[in-house]
Amino acid sequence: MIKTDVLVIGAGPAGSTAARFAAKGGAKVILMDKKSEIGSPKRCAEGVSKKTFDILELEADPHWITREIEGVRLVAPDGTDVWLTNDVIELPEAGYILERKVFDKHLAMEAGREGAEIRIKTQAKGLKKEADGSYTVTCECMGEVYDINAKILIGADGPESHVAKWAGLKAITKPKHMESGIQFEMCNAKMERSDVLEFYFGSVAPGGYFWLFPKGDDIVNAGLAIIPEMAEKSAYEYLVDAVNNCYATKDAQPVEINVGGDPVGGLVKEMYNDNIMLCGDAASQVNPLTGGGITSGITGGKYAGQVAAEAIKVGDCSKKFLKKYDKLVREDMGHDMDKYSKACDYLWSLDDDELNNIAHAFQDIEFTTIGTTELVKALIKAQPKAALKLGKLFL
Amino acid sequence: MMIVKDWCSYCGCCAGVCVRNCIEVKETALVFDENCNECGICVDACPLAALELEE
Ligand SMILES: Cc1cc2nc3c(=O)[nH]c(=O)nc-3n(C[C@H](O)[C@H](O)[C@H](O)COP(=O)(O)OP(=O)(O)OC[C@H]3O[C@@H](n4cnc5c(N)ncnc54)[C@H](O)[C@@H]3O)c2cc1C
Ligand code: SF4
Ligand code: SF4
Repeated sequence: MIKTDVLVIGAGPAGSTAARFAAKGGAKVILMDKKSEIGSPKRCAEGVSKKTFDILELEADPHWITREIEGVRLVAPDGTDVWLTNDVIELPEAGYILERKVFDKHLAMEAGREGAEIRIKTQAKGLKKEADGSYTVTCECMGEVYDINAKILIGADGPESHVAKWAGLKAITKPKHMESGIQFEMCNAKMERSDVLEFYFGSVAPGGYFWLFPKGDDIVNAGLAIIPEMAEKSAYEYLVDAVNNCYATKDAQPVEINVGGDPVGGLVKEMYNDNIMLCGDAASQVNPLTGGGITSGITGGKYAGQVAAEAIKVGDCSKKFLKKYDKLVREDMGHDMDKYSKACDYLWSLDDDELNNIAHAFQDIEFTTIGTTELVKALIKAQPKAALKLGKLFL
Repeated sequence: MMIVKDWCSYCGCCAGVCVRNCIEVKETALVFDENCNECGICVDACPLAALELEE
């Protein structure tokens, strides 16, 4: 049987970051993924905030950055739009569009360079808790089945999240909190500005939105996410309609289709227990409003890796010690998640007419700074019912 | 009986919502285990409508 200090299941951004920081902290680490190629197929629109690279302690590298983003355009169902761009207002958080197939691989390489052993095409099939508290995971790689025993198991297996369920953690995503996401990467797109993210709200994507994230002058990730309970047809059918009805994409040509689940219920109840931690999508470390999980997954991964290394060093992998991880994550993102989760409950409750009214009211406002406060004040003016739901949270 | 259409892209969204944890997502195959009670939650979750329950 193979023995290790830390076993990380899943080499997405969260898992690779966890493995890298655990190895950096001196632990013996194995990182595994069932994929043949880390990062592929991508299941993502690839938008990320600049602060991600501070968290990663890495320089942003042109090999995996396709575009720098200068603003956002919000579009109501009747086409009324609101532009919030850096040349007019100061945006609190700017960002990039990544090439995730390259980025994810790069993060795994960074883990490898810190000393983590990487096993690709290796799937976790189940696990067993040993008397000493450690976990033994059954793995399969190209027909060969073998066990790996780890003092600490890190579940970073994405939205499928089998590890959490096998270990009996309270970490299940309810169907009403699993966004069904789908996207085309397209060329020949006619964006008004290819450095601005576009978001389309309303019945175009019930429980979510339709997005255009530019990756080049005419290249775009055009996708949407829906909550199936609120929808009348499949996500794919919504996407085909949205793309055909949107000026920027109606003549564009797809070169990829990407699908995936995005857990938006806010942090799961149990992110850790004796000898185990969850990070990334597996712990629902996803912004409930935007569906963005790269930055938060990397944040969670870094904390998990650091705490795992400390636990190995002091020889205490108990729940009591690993609680530190939970505390770090909740302090870092817990408050924002609650806030965004309430904001999206409100946003998804609006019908097309209400969204149009809000967009009309926004036409008369000149934004110079874009604190959330200004936005919410404008929203309340346009839609007094928002005052009740959002006022207390943001003002 | 669950039928997996051949346009499934093995994204795992269905596995994520199954409370009984009975969907194994391989690189290019989905495997349903015997604990499936045919509740249909995974069928609704699939972005590609690639699952079908057959009597
Ligand atoms: C359509 C769509 C668009 C999105 N757009 C954005 C965006 O623009 N910005 C953003 O920040 N976020 C976005 N997200 C969310 C983002 O993609 C995820 O939050 C992010 O990938 C989570 O990273 P992770 O490391 O937790 O999991 P993943 O990236 O999902 O990685 C999990 C890894 O675990 C592996 N794995 C799973 N089970 C096993 C097993 N049993 N054995 C071995 N390996 C296993 C998988 O192969 C996978 O490589 C989007 C999601 C979707 C679906
Ligand atoms: S959600 Fe649909 S496309 Fe994704 S793995 Fe399940 S059946 Fe296949
Ligand atoms: S039908 Fe229900 S129990 Fe069966 S695999 Fe789908 S979600 Fe799980």
